Amino acid sequence: MAQTNPPFLTGVPELLVLRMLSGREMYGYEIVKAMRLVTGEAIGFGEGVIYPVLHALEKGGALKARRKSVNGRERVYYAVTTKGRRRLEHLSDEWRRVSTGVNSALNGAHGDPEHA
Amino acid sequence: MPDERFESLRLELLRSGVNPVYVERTIAELGEHYCDLVAAARAAGYSAAEAEREARAALGSDRAIAAAVLAHPELLCFSTRWPRVAHCLHSAALIGTIPGLPVIFCLEHRPELARWGAAVGAAATLMGAVMAALNWLIVLPY
Repeated sequence: MAQTNPPFLTGVPELLVLRMLSGREMYGYEIVKAMRLVTGEAIGFGEGVIYPVLHALEKGGALKARRKSVNGRERVYYAVTTKGRRRLEHLSDEWRRVSTGVNSALNGAHGDPEHA
Repeated sequence: MPDERFESLRLELLRSGVNPVYVERTIAELGEHYCDLVAAARAAGYSAAEAEREARAALGSDRAIAAAVLAHPELLCFSTRWPRVAHCLHSAALIGTIPGLPVIFCLEHRPELARWGAAVGAAATLMGAVMAALNWLIVLPY
């Protein structure tokens, strides 16, 4: 039976956030800047939507947050937990599996579907 | 200052049943993000008015942000996620208060208190069952 992949379909923001935070802790604005940089601005989104993703990941134990005052500004820094690293591995595997399948379909590895 | 810009979003999130802790955190972090965006736009040569406009556009519309928050049920209040359970617990707490208060003030009259407690307990159980059934059937819209 074919594997379904709802976590992949709904998990792209989570995957990118966890990947950005896997190197070092960052606050929201830094995360968005890093995402734009590494994706070559290929993924467009309103920057404000990053916060519900961060809060949900923190609630689920994948991230931990700490407040830090920097130059008179109150920042909330996020860092990946052990559980978050496991989730990142899982989402990365899902992404590779699905993208391999999509690439295979786009490259016509199984022949032309119109003549299948 | 930035928080006032997000007042309508804050009210919308609260009305939608988002946990107030996450509402306040979201608004505070959006405010900081907005300040960073304005500073970056100013550094890029935009005027103050243009920088503010660019920053607000970059954050996305209130509707999009609210939809993103509501897409995560774990950020909602317990009573929004589980309205029936919340109503039942609320009613149970109210019913529990009725016999609870006299008990505190009449501890020295234990035999009478025991009889009264049994009677009230039976009545509360019956009443609670009726209210629980009603709560289960009637769910207030949010």
